[in-house]
Amino acid sequence: MDAQILLENALNACVAGLVIGCIYGLMCVGLSLIFGIMRVVNFAQGDLLMLGAYAAFYLVAGWGLLAFLGLAGPFAAAVLAGPIVFAGAWLIHRWLVSQVSGLRTAGSLDEGHFGQLIVTLGLALILQNGGLILFGSTPRAVRTPLSASAWLVEVGIGDTTIFLNKARVIACLVAIVVVVGLWLLLDRTRLGRALRAAADNPTAATYMGINVDRAHRIAFALGSAVTAIAGGLVASYLSFTPFMGLDFVVIMYAGVVLGGMGSLLGAFWGGVTIGFVQQFSALALPPQLQNAAIFVVFLLIIILRPQGLFGRSADRA
Amino acid sequence: MTDSGFTRRDALALGAGMAALGGAGRARAQAPAEVKVALLAPISGPWARQGLLMKMGAEMAIDDINASGGIRSLGGARMRLVVYDAGDSTEKAKNAAQRMVAQEPDLAGGTGAWLSSFTLAVTEVTERAELPWLTLSYADSLTSRGFRYIFQSSPTNDNQAIAVLPTLMALAERATGKKPTRLGLISDSTASPQSFVRPVRATEAAKYGLRIVVDETFTPPLSDATPLIQKVRSARPDFLLFIATNVPDDKLVMEKLNEYGLGQAKLPTIGNGGHMAVPELVQLTSPEILEGLMVCMANWPGKDQEALTRRFVERTKEPWMGHDSIFPYAHMMIFREAMERSGSADRNKVAEAIRGFDIRNEGPALFFPSKRLKYDARGRLEDAQLVTVQWKSGVPQLVDPPSMATAAAYWPKG
Repeated sequence: MDAQILLENALNACVAGLVIGCIYGLMCVGLSLIFGIMRVVNFAQGDLLMLGAYAAFYLVAGWGLLAFLGLAGPFAAAVLAGPIVFAGAWLIHRWLVSQVSGLRTAGSLDEGHFGQLIVTLGLALILQNGGLILFGSTPRAVRTPLSASAWLVEVGIGDTTIFLNKARVIACLVAIVVVVGLWLLLDRTRLGRALRAAADNPTAATYMGINVDRAHRIAFALGSAVTAIAGGLVASYLSFTPFMGLDFVVIMYAGVVLGGMGSLLGAFWGGVTIGFVQQFSALALPPQLQNAAIFVVFLLIIILRPQGLFGRSADRA
Repeated sequence: MTDSGFTRRDALALGAGMAALGGAGRARAQAPAEVKVALLAPISGPWARQGLLMKMGAEMAIDDINASGGIRSLGGARMRLVVYDAGDSTEKAKNAAQRMVAQEPDLAGGTGAWLSSFTLAVTEVTERAELPWLTLSYADSLTSRGFRYIFQSSPTNDNQAIAVLPTLMALAERATGKKPTRLGLISDSTASPQSFVRPVRATEAAKYGLRIVVDETFTPPLSDATPLIQKVRSARPDFLLFIATNVPDDKLVMEKLNEYGLGQAKLPTIGNGGHMAVPELVQLTSPEILEGLMVCMANWPGKDQEALTRRFVERTKEPWMGHDSIFPYAHMMIFREAMERSGSADRNKVAEAIRGFDIRNEGPALFFPSKRLKYDARGRLEDAQLVTVQWKSGVPQLVDPPSMATAAAYWPKG
């Protein structure tokens, strides 16, 4: 292959991997937050992502509330999808997830994991099929001209050009801002300390006056909101149906395990790693092996570094 | 002779008449009040939209049939559609088919299930139940299994690939004055696209002097089309065959082509299948991005079906009637014709009637591009013809064959 073509392909794969990886990273952070603090493996996380995408869609296109923002509308809607899903997830935790998690199951043999498995899988099915009834089967997208246009960066070698998809680059920047904001929240605020205490030792946290159930509720809602923002960002460049969560939940789990279960920043880097693997594997392998490449890397990491790329063996949020 | 004038001959004639009347009465009594036909299509899951479009077409046909007096040879029996959801997997489609044959023992026939892999599973069940099954699915394997009760109304994928290239080459040569020589192929890894691209790779491209300069296969759904379109940009084909199976992938690839400066008719792009000409595709992208995109497929209502299309639009509020709705409409008309001809709603007699069809330029044949309705021994529609639509100002227009075309085809010159 011509060296210039190879260079252009590699540069574009690098940029696309980074941009998409950051959005994957944001999804993974939401899942990791829930697992890290609550020790709940949430199989409905992909469907919370779907709710975020639909919230963004209705804010911009469906009801047109944010249409006046023009090109910024889809990204503002993605951010606003967070609080909307936060409220819904709060209720879901209050009525469902809290029944099979937290102090209620602390002394049980399986720590509530079987119940959590059934509840979150059931929730996923309800959200998918409820979404089908509510939103219909027609694919939707938050339409923006930015998703089909790019900033072109000439690198000065022949006509080698880097294409920066405008919608994805903006989504990537929003994702980074949200992750940094979340990290600051957990690291620098009283609420963050309470959440981390509830994660490290729920019983001790209770003795210190922390309402562990409330901390778990906030963690579940916050993790859902973060993933919903990612869903809103995805909606600015991909079309989606109520079943979109199925396509992303595997990526989320792979990213979280790659980065280190329960490690927030590890999950983000896990997502970024998946973005890179997806893009670079397509340079050398047929594109249908993109997802296979992710799992080859995933298995290698599991064998060589079971605690994940960026995690410590006992790391928690 | 008697005084009353009522002879023995009169008595025999009256007796024969009474017997005949009685027989007719029994025939009417045996005729069912309604005849059930099935639609098994994905009503939930990622392909639910296609299932809904099919349902719209089938329901309209049923209403048209009942409004025109039902099945006359069955004493005006009304047709009733029973709908089963194929769901989102082959397993669910097969389960739905098993439920359907168990719960509806009096079905006269059915149609479905859109996705070839679903239809393959469903027809394993309907074949055992000896239920005549009409399908729009494209895979050639559907009618290569020796089944007797499946009737495939589309040209098979391999035949579509063979049929489409000469049309495209001629169109390109007319528009540009020279034959294209460099072909790009992007296809997804599912059965139908692979059976389309197989003959292109094997024989057809070489037959027309085309060199395949990029040939990429992806697993749907795509999360990003950058690697694919980057390779297309590097290879610089004269035109691109993009063979996928779902709307989200269509959007992603068309937008990525635009992002790389290859969209908006700069690189002539040809797709395959009804999903590339559905209203939601233009709602998800924009008319500019789809401008000039050509899509070859098995059926589309042409200028001879303008009245049908108008009624469909009024009834459903869909912007147009397309591939996924015209097929179930036509299939319901085929069942009516089969029951009229056989005078029975018995599934075996209906199947036998369909096997015996050789209808030209009338009845249900009018809803197919070739205007001929005859299934061969394998159940394939003889003379099945491909049509091509082209996106123009946000609306897909039928451009080939010319006899049905509502607009002239053009080859994007870049």
